[in-house]
Amino acid sequence: MASVQFNGIVKKFKDNLVLNGVDVDIKDHEFVVIVGPSGCGKTTLLRMLAGLEEITGGEILIDGLRVNELHPSKRQIAMVFQDYALYPHMTVEQNMSFALRLRKTDKAEIDARVGEAASILQLQPFLQRMPKQLSGGQRQRVAIGRAIVRKPKVFLFDEPLSNLDAKLREEMRVEIAKLYQRLNATIIYVTHDQVEAMTLAGRIVIMNKGIVQQVGSPIEVYRKPANLFVAGFIGSPTMNLLSGKLSLQGEDLFFSNGDIRISIPPYLLHDAKKHDGREVTVGVRPDDVLVGRTGEKCSDKVEGVLEVCELLGHRENLYIKAGNTRLLATVEAFFDRSPGAAVSLCFNYKNMHVFDKATEKRISE
Amino acid sequence: MEILRSIYEVAGFIVLIALGVGALEAYFYYHFRYYDRPWFFPVALAAFPIGALVAASAIAGSYEFSLWFYFLLAEALIAAAFRYVVKGRHTVPYLLLAPAFVGLALLLVYPFAFEVYLSFHDLKLNTIMMWKNTGRIPFAGLSQYVKVFTTSPLSEVTFWALLGRTLLWTFSNVFFHVLGGFALALLLNNAIRFKGAYRTLLVIPWAMPQVVAVLAMRGEFHSQNGFVNIAITKLLAAFPFLASLGVAPVQWLSDYPLLTCTIVNIWLGIPFMMVVILGGLQSISSSYYDAADIDGASYLQKLRFITVPLIKPVLMPAVTLGTVWTFNNINVIYLVTGQAGGTEQADILVSALYKAAFTYNRYSYSAAFAIVVFALLFFISVTYLHGFDAAKEER
Ligand SMILES: Nc1ncnc2c1ncn2[C@@H]1O[C@H](COP(=O)(O)OP(=O)(O)OP(=O)(O)O)[C@@H](O)[C@H]1O
Ligand SMILES: [Mg+2]
Repeated sequence: MASVQFNGIVKKFKDNLVLNGVDVDIKDHEFVVIVGPSGCGKTTLLRMLAGLEEITGGEILIDGLRVNELHPSKRQIAMVFQDYALYPHMTVEQNMSFALRLRKTDKAEIDARVGEAASILQLQPFLQRMPKQLSGGQRQRVAIGRAIVRKPKVFLFDEPLSNLDAKLREEMRVEIAKLYQRLNATIIYVTHDQVEAMTLAGRIVIMNKGIVQQVGSPIEVYRKPANLFVAGFIGSPTMNLLSGKLSLQGEDLFFSNGDIRISIPPYLLHDAKKHDGREVTVGVRPDDVLVGRTGEKCSDKVEGVLEVCELLGHRENLYIKAGNTRLLATVEAFFDRSPGAAVSLCFNYKNMHVFDKATEKRISE
Repeated sequence: MEILRSIYEVAGFIVLIALGVGALEAYFYYHFRYYDRPWFFPVALAAFPIGALVAASAIAGSYEFSLWFYFLLAEALIAAAFRYVVKGRHTVPYLLLAPAFVGLALLLVYPFAFEVYLSFHDLKLNTIMMWKNTGRIPFAGLSQYVKVFTTSPLSEVTFWALLGRTLLWTFSNVFFHVLGGFALALLLNNAIRFKGAYRTLLVIPWAMPQVVAVLAMRGEFHSQNGFVNIAITKLLAAFPFLASLGVAPVQWLSDYPLLTCTIVNIWLGIPFMMVVILGGLQSISSSYYDAADIDGASYLQKLRFITVPLIKPVLMPAVTLGTVWTFNNINVIYLVTGQAGGTEQADILVSALYKAAFTYNRYSYSAAFAIVVFALLFFISVTYLHGFDAAKEER
């Protein structure tokens, strides 16, 4: 159990700047998920914390102690690798006990710890097997078991579920959530799966191009994305992003992009005069595009044509074209209209997001 | 004109080979195609033995009727095999393999069979003329095999002494090959500058023809003009106190011939092991080392618990090959010690075998000797192979 701090972490591979000033504070016993697109430096950050990669600049503190120069084994961390890295020539039991045997822990203690980890992860039947005789999910559990046995202060998981199929991934996700409650440890978890991030995380760190874009609880990053990148990255299906211009008419602010003209209520952007003429991007989640129910409190109707319907089961995705603007709406199944039909829709203003076009920063409340 | 004639000869030879291969393919094709026809046996037995007899007498220039009987017997066996075992299956693969099989039979099976035949007879300097004139060699039963174990192949050293020396030679060579190869591979596996250049330099002894490499090294061990003794002399001149420690120029070739051969052969054999082990090291995923770092393994522990077990699968076959090569390595021993007036002190089984056959002209005795050596090597290789099967089961 420990806190972890990244202070201005910079990483260069030769001239290639991979991390550019990462600052994150992770509290004791927190489950932090790091998400970001491929190649944004998540693994690199984790490996630097583990001590497997040299730190170009900045410092890393574990429990307030600077660990930049500390050997990986002294940092009291355990890492679960994306490819598991189970030693192929050792049995499951030998894999799990390797670290303890290196430290010359006594036999009884080793057996007790391996037994405990095996029972938590239901690995007892496999202890004498070789890794290649296990399924993907079982290997994954062994990799976690190897981490647990060492009783580290911080667990690092690097996309541990990415090699598993969808169903197994769901099961393991629940297992990891249970494990977290049981172990009472600090966990840093890298993934690019949104569902994992949203369901497991206490806090999410969203990274892009080596820069932290936003840190916050899953709800915060979903409800109030700090910038365009986060808005587009979090949430599935992806948020509709419309770029256009704000203009003032009388007291009211309007957004328009040629096809769509809607008013921006004052609780989204106060001080309407300040924003007159500003280039912005407006974001609306597909769930907040209301189709067909135009009766209630909807002042600016948008007319469009239904292009494609995708039935997902209880929900349905509607691809709508309004002028030259394409919009995605997610509605309750079954939306009984065929492609080509004219539909009218309006936006749920309360959940709309406005971003400055130049800085890409959020400007709405 | 000379050139034209050579071209003509080569072309003729190629045509001859092509005709031979064509005849061979036709022969097998017949057996694959018509094995179930009623006339299969009569036609095969009538046509092929006579064809073979004609071909054989054309090649030998004379004619011997008894050969026809052997050809008939062989054809009966082959035809029966095609009718009852092969049954026309796998036609194309066998047709494609046929030339290679026949080539192998000529190059491997025939000499081996002849060697077995020789080992039960008595062919030596005083019977060779009889063989040439009458085609017969006195039958000797197992007596050649008894002689292998009871008499010396050369003038004094016994089979058992040679065997002991060979095992020591093989073990020490392979041990140092693996040790040196492993050490160099570990160095080369680091991110060092000019890695490619070092690798090339280190592989040179292996890439050079062995004869050249060995003769060059032999020169370096010459008592007066060799590099080794000159280096020792210079060192003594620079640091006189070394003399009191017993350092002095050594008569390498006459006093320590086996040691000299061993040093030369170690130098020759390290590159192969280095290349194989380097390949093995490069195939180990770096994530095992990362995991071991986190688990707290020191450099030596990583070497012992990760590297060595993981290169075993490539190392074991290389060690088997190395063992067989070293056991059979006549080049180094013969070239360093074997020429005129050479010593017997460095001989191992195969070099003694070579000398027994071609210096002392005891052909049948050496054939028996060779079969004993073959049996030994076969036993060693099978044991090793079982070794890796067991190792494979573990993984
Ligand atoms: N050893 C290395 N040498 C040079 N560049 C590297 C090295 N390791 C990673 N990089 C580069 O650093 C960047 C970040 O890599 P990293 O592995 O951290 O990405 P990631 O966020 O984990 O991606 P993914 O989601 O695909 O795993 C990439 O552009 C990559 O090319
Ligand atoms: Mg990664």
